[in-house]
Amino acid sequence: MTDVASLTVDQLTDQLRAEDYIADRGLATALLLALKLGKPLLLEGEVGVGKTELARTLATMLGRDLIRLQCYEGIDMYHALYEWDYARQMLHVRALAQSEGGAADDDLFSPRFLLERPLLQAVRAGDQCVLLIDEVDRADDEFEAFLLELLGDFQVTIPEVGTVKAASRPIVILTSNRTRELHDALKRRCLYTWIGFPEPDRELNIVRARLPGIGEALAAQVVTAVNRLRDMDLEKPPGVAESIDWAQSLDTLGSSELSEAAALDTLGAVIKDRDDLDYATKSIQDVVG
Amino acid sequence: MSSADDVDAAGYDDLLVGFGHALRAVGLPVGSDDVLAFCAGVSTLDVGDIMDVYWCGRATLVRRRDNIPLYNQVFRHYFLDIEPATADIRKKTLKASSTAGATLEIPNTEEGLPGQVSPDEIKLGYLASTSEVYRHKAFADCSDDEIRQLRRMMSRLRVTPPKRRTHRSTKARRSSTLDMRRMAREMMRTLGEPRDLSFRKRKEKLRPLVLILDVSGSMADYSRNLLQFAYSARRANTKVDVFCFGTRLTRITRSLDRRDPDEAMRMAGEAVMDWDGGTRIGDSLRDFTRQARRARLGRGAIVVICSDGLDRGEPAALAESMEALSRIAHRVIWVNPHKGDAVEYVPTSLGMIVADPFIDEVHSGHNLASLERLADRLAKVG
Repeated sequence: MTDVASLTVDQLTDQLRAEDYIADRGLATALLLALKLGKPLLLEGEVGVGKTELARTLATMLGRDLIRLQCYEGIDMYHALYEWDYARQMLHVRALAQSEGGAADDDLFSPRFLLERPLLQAVRAGDQCVLLIDEVDRADDEFEAFLLELLGDFQVTIPEVGTVKAASRPIVILTSNRTRELHDALKRRCLYTWIGFPEPDRELNIVRARLPGIGEALAAQVVTAVNRLRDMDLEKPPGVAESIDWAQSLDTLGSSELSEAAALDTLGAVIKDRDDLDYATKSIQDVVG
Repeated sequence: MSSADDVDAAGYDDLLVGFGHALRAVGLPVGSDDVLAFCAGVSTLDVGDIMDVYWCGRATLVRRRDNIPLYNQVFRHYFLDIEPATADIRKKTLKASSTAGATLEIPNTEEGLPGQVSPDEIKLGYLASTSEVYRHKAFADCSDDEIRQLRRMMSRLRVTPPKRRTHRSTKARRSSTLDMRRMAREMMRTLGEPRDLSFRKRKEKLRPLVLILDVSGSMADYSRNLLQFAYSARRANTKVDVFCFGTRLTRITRSLDRRDPDEAMRMAGEAVMDWDGGTRIGDSLRDFTRQARRARLGRGAIVVICSDGLDRGEPAALAESMEALSRIAHRVIWVNPHKGDAVEYVPTSLGMIVADPFIDEVHSGHNLASLERLADRLAKVG
């Protein structure tokens, strides 16, 4: 386990690199501050630039569990925090009814019938975990307010059981694809980082780090082509994840370099939108270059 | 500020706090707690490294991507003594328009312009029996009497306000979700014998409705009709906010309470128009998004903009503010009478082309039937 207190930006960058995550200075600085100041880190950025991956890498690097809460429209407390295990409760009641007298209320709503959802797990785990709250922009406004409360003091009150308080704060990473604007109040609690598409050099490093066996020429060509695609004003510009997917697809098919034919065959790995696909197919010459 | 090595810690804090003030001075929302976090952050990093100071500030003092260029500018000026470039750094190059100058020549006809109604239709007699005709007759072709009649019909227009599901749930007679918690408790009472099924459903709340109406010249009449929406929706207890714009934006929600619609429109017209200034949709919408962020207006709301999209301002400003608006609002509906009865609307004015990617629906609102359709849609988009 890494000693956070004496960590510097460069050391952190190196450690992330050892886990095949290549962070630029801005991201590394923000992450270091999040670790040192104990604040949640809000990552905003295009799709597929490694927001989720950062949390995963961080958990591996620090030897902690990754607890992930995927947000979606309509997510509520029962999915995020805790739920009672009703099936077991009902079985328990039946069993009690058959053996002897009545079932005691406090027995039925005791911790052993509690299903812990990600947020409660994280509160219990404290600094043994990295909590990833993924795509928080997809959840409703009210869920944000609820998160705000939780991120404030890391304490959860379950009426039947009592208050659970984190002994130590977990590292919290929130990601947003910026499909809608988050409340300022939530943002104020967090350190903020915008992750853009990486420069071609860094992207090439990322592809090479992620796909150790990849041919040098192929990796370079894919990165160049993806950068051209990004300049093409597509509906959904490809992210770094797509570069990696594409390079991997080409490699799997045995291509050692990016030809027009090979690009056409594998374009689905990098472009996931019908109109974009049509457009890119038509201008494949410009893409491959 | 080239080297921080010879500066003692206290002087250093002053410098950092001063930077926070400099950011605040250009309008970035920087709170004292942000400045504290910034200082705390820098002290854990290498104090002499300007890059550390830069990135630490980026993480602690900036919370919106749009603000990054402004932050950069202030940083350069404050720490590196580099004067800001004269050009407005927030201007984006706009892909949709090749020349901004195209806006100066305002096209006065667009396809699908309402108004081509045969004279026979106008001659058709008595108002009471011809409501169906009027329903489809463009407002622009109606006589004053007919307009008055239509207004009366409009005032009976039912706006079912849009709803959204909330976080909380409530008892329901039937739904797809079982209320397991309740049932478990019931079973305890009956010693494990299951009895009736209980259900829960999500509570619903009314979505706020925001109308942003263009009251410049030709649009005033159409916008006036949409005001009727505001009244109808208000009767249904929805939170309604109404803004009018021409060259400027003003909020007229208050005056809705007291005056009749015509009076409200007239007042709005006086407040927002410099008569030779032309319509500045982009600037007006930017005003709105700014106010919205501050006053928490429009968040999760249905925003209805009524305008013909003939913008005299910068197309880039319009694109920028539409993008911001689309992120704040739940749905953005644009009412453009130039759409007419066309089913597939193809935007022709530059303003509409620029705004198009951020609009969820376009309605025409040029006759009563179309307004009824809009009212119908409002109930469903929630």
